[in-house]
Parts: sequence; structure tokens; C-alpha cells
Amino acid sequence: MEAFEASRRRSTSASLRLALLQFVADPQWLIPSMIAPVIFGLVSFELFRGYGPYFLTYAILGAGMMSMWGQTLYGSGWATGQDRVFGTLEPTMQAPTPYLYVVLGRVIWNVLSGLLGGLIVYVVVVGAAGGPPALPDPVAFVVLFLFVMLTLAAVGVVFAAFYVYTRYAGFIQNIGEFAFYVGTGCMFPVVLLPFWTNPIALFFPPTWALDALRYASIPGYVGFSWGFWPDLAGAVATTAAYLALAGSIFHRVERHVLEVGNLADY
Amino acid sequence: MSGLARDGPAIETRQLYRRFDSRKGFLFREMTRTEALKGVDLVVERGAIFGLLGPNGAGKTTLTKILSTLLLPTSGTALVLGHDVTRETDWLRPRMGLVLGGERGLYNRISGRENLRYFADLYGVPIAGRDARIREVLERVGLTDAADRRVEEYSRGMKQKLHIARGILHRPEILFLDEPTIGLDPKSARETRKLIRSLVTDGVTIFLTTHYMFEAEELCPRLAILSKGRIVARDTVDALRALVGGDRTLEAEAYGFDDREVDAVRALPGVSKVVTEEFGPMMRLTLRVRTGELTLDQVRGRLPGHAELAVRERRTSLEDVYLDLVEEEAR
Repeated sequence: MEAFEASRRRSTSASLRLALLQFVADPQWLIPSMIAPVIFGLVSFELFRGYGPYFLTYAILGAGMMSMWGQTLYGSGWATGQDRVFGTLEPTMQAPTPYLYVVLGRVIWNVLSGLLGGLIVYVVVVGAAGGPPALPDPVAFVVLFLFVMLTLAAVGVVFAAFYVYTRYAGFIQNIGEFAFYVGTGCMFPVVLLPFWTNPIALFFPPTWALDALRYASIPGYVGFSWGFWPDLAGAVATTAAYLALAGSIFHRVERHVLEVGNLADY
Repeated sequence: MSGLARDGPAIETRQLYRRFDSRKGFLFREMTRTEALKGVDLVVERGAIFGLLGPNGAGKTTLTKILSTLLLPTSGTALVLGHDVTRETDWLRPRMGLVLGGERGLYNRISGRENLRYFADLYGVPIAGRDARIREVLERVGLTDAADRRVEEYSRGMKQKLHIARGILHRPEILFLDEPTIGLDPKSARETRKLIRSLVTDGVTIFLTTHYMFEAEELCPRLAILSKGRIVARDTVDALRALVGGDRTLEAEAYGFDDREVDAVRALPGVSKVVTEEFGPMMRLTLRVRTGELTLDQVRGRLPGHAELAVRERRTSLEDVYLDLVEEEAR
């Protein structure tokens, strides 16, 4: 008897579709994806109001990142944690496709819903200010904004592996979430933080990508002082490293959980 | 690659051993070691239902998870369809189905049909025939009318059917069913057993764990009894009956028997084993009998002076076999 051949691409699209179905089925998702961005946008607008001529850009970036942060970076890991709670981690891991490709589908969904949050923030801040921010190059802003999402997604894939590894990943996430958010310069530029945090922040792709985005959209911005291109190169390199690591980490984590036998724990 | 033949048995294990180490405590870490399987040797032929019986904690689920590639053994070898479960998972997973059952294991907020579609995609069921295949398995498990309802609205029995539907969706060659009727009401359990029987006609090998004796007796031509991580017996139900002393079981009940009477009964021709039990003020002697010669009157003759004596005969059940073997293992 010939077995069916599982496809990785199809598994990713099935996972993306499942994430969408679960989103539609559960009204609680409206809060982080649509209501929270409105609040973040208004708070950020007030926080940065009067902070120089480019305060609107700071406000949009700060609130946009706050909104996308949880959705894109942690959403994928959280969904894996939910697989543990639902008891669906075992049947999913037993399927022929490596679990990484299921996670990728969720990451794509989380990127899309994160973008929606970013768009809502933009509309709210622009509405509050009565006009759009002065962007030297709007196209570069959008492209780099999308790139920041990709860097978040890359970290998100690696984080998701921890949820497969242990049922305690949620606790670790809760402890680290705020520190990571501030430490990578999502709300304020990293250079405003204590110097000792800077070397740690450099291990995370969003740090580099955000700094590049600020260079491109805020004239006179001084981040790491290396300039736009070194920031962009750093972002590309660290993102590539995370994506390359993801496959190997998932392979090892899958082997580990089969050894330990904790897939059914939640 | 193992030397065991790939066109041989559906399952073959050699000295399969699995240990779980768990740690508890924060400041003073204490390690607990549990031996779930202690050298399991098992052969399961293709194309039939094989039953694995055992009490709670015997290691049934551990063995099922190892065979279905969800757990690695600490040592030993396990081949399914001739392929090593630790090294050849890519080949094995599309060919095996796993039904762990229970309330969990499904996406509750979406419909049964959507659950199946998701897993059909993960298993690579061809897109052209996917929806038809989903309709087919839904029909087969009797969930057609409920297919588009959210799983959270399903009863326990319906969820179990959906688990089975998912397990057979990709036409596996071997299906692992872990306690498929546990927690089901009698009607749902009967329907589930009927469904399981029907799967064998498709040529699927079924490895079923249960601790319901009647279920094993009804479904499984061959079975093994697992106790404390060891296979204590493996054969057909009839052969297992013979193993514990005979096809016939005679029971004598009265308000107490003394040792002399018990010995007298034990000395009767054909009696292979006598088990004494007390329940309240009553006492029961259970006799396993090898031959058809022994009569109820002969038993009554050895137990004189009991006006209230009741003696009856019944066929040795799988439960008798199971209790004898598991108790023997416990001793």
C-alpha cells in the first residue's frame, strides 16, 4: 500500500488556515488585534507629543511595535502552548511533516495580524495628530516596517521551539517579555538605555532592524551611530542566523521531547 | 538497519525498555525513576486486531506511544511494518494512525470537518480527493450530520468517533487505539467497537489497548497481558484460558470453608487451581478445571454440612485469566 506524501508547503498553508479559523471562531482575539492597537496609538501619541518635529514617527513606531510585538513574536509560541493545552501537540507531532512547518504557518498568520495592528496604530495616531507624519521616504518606511516584522517573526519561530521543549515556556516568556521589548529598542531607541544592555540587544534582529528603520524615517536620528547600512546588514545577518538556527533547534527539540516524553504535559 | 524482515509481522519488539526520570522540588531536587516497560518482547501479525490488556499504570500507553513514534525507548528495538520506530519515522508516520482518544486532542472551536481537513493536509491526503475522503470517514464513524458543528458541542462519544476518523483519514496500514472506549456510555462504546471491527475488513492492522476484558474478548483474536511493564502472557483467548488452568470455572459459595475443605476440593480430579475469596460473611472457592469430567455434585460432595451451599459452573472468562496472571505477576 502506498502512503500519501505529505508536503511541507501544504502543512504550512493548512496551519495558516487553521490559525485564521481559530481567530474567526474566538471573539477574544479582537482585543489584542484591533482594540489594543487603538489604545497603544493614543497612549503613544500623548507620550511623544511635543518631542521634536518627528514625534509622530516616534509615536507610530513605538505603538506599532507594541501592538505587533505580542502578535508576531509571541503569538506563534503561544499557539504552540495552546497545542499542549488542547492535547493537539501529540497528533500534530505524529504527523509526517516536521512541526516547524506548522509553526511557520502560524508565524505568517501572526505577521498578517500584526500588520493589521500596525495599520490601526497608524490610522489612530494620524487621526489624533490631524495629519500624517513627515516621512523623508514613505516607500522605504513601509519596506523597512515589513522587514522589522520579518525579524520579529524569525525570533518568534525560535521562541516557539521553547513551547515544544517545555510546558513552562509561558512563564519564561512572561518574565522576559517586557525586558525584551524595552531592551531591543521597540519603544525608545536602544541608545537611551543603560549601556550594558546594548551588547545583549545586538543578539536580537529587531534591535538592528528598528534602528535602521529610525535612521530611514527620522532625519538627524542617532542610534548606534553606525548608520543605516551597517544596521541593515546587522539585521539581515542576525535574521538569517535565527532562521538558520530554527531548523536545527526544532530538530533537536523534537528529539528531546520524544526522549523525555512530555508532549502530553500542559 | 535491523535484520528483521520488512514483510514480516506488523509489530516486533525486542527487550523494549523505557524509564521515566522526573524531578520535583525547587531547592532540594528529588529525582523519581519509574520503569514503565521492563523488556517487552512482542510480535503482532498483520491484518488483525491485537489486544494489549493491562491494569492502569501497566505501561500500555507508553508502549503505544513508542510504537507510534511519539516516544523513544530507553533501550531495546521496536519495528513497525518492518521499520525501526526510532530511525525510520519519515517512512512510518504516513502509514500509521494513532487514536489516543479522550476529551483533548482536537481543536474545539472549529468544526469536526475542519479538524479533519487540517489533519488531511498535514498527512498529504491528495487535494483532489480530500473532501470526498473526509465525507467518507465522517459517514463511516456516523458524524455526517454533526460534521459542521463545533467540536466543543460534541459529546464524549462523538469526540471519540472524530478521533477515530482522524486516525483512519490517511488510510494507514496500522492503527493504534489507546483505550478507545474508556469513559464512553454503553451505547457509544458498542458503536465504537462495531466501528473498530469494521476497520479490519479494510486490511488495517489494529493494535488496541484496553483494560475492559469483555472488549478484548469480543474484538481481539490474539492478545497480550501487560503487567508492571512486562508481558505476562501472549496468545489467543482460548490458549490463555488453558494457560491459567482450564476452560471451565466452577464456583462454590457458602458461609466459610475451612482449610480441610479447600484441600479436599483441590484434590478433585481435573482441578488445576483453587482461589479463595471472602466477601462480607460469605466465602467463594473458584476452581479452574481442565477436564470435562468433574461434576457439580462431586464438588458438593466435598463440601458437606453447608445448607446454604451454592455451586455453579461458567466458562472461564478473560477476566479470570487476566486476574490470575496479573495477581501471579504481583506475587
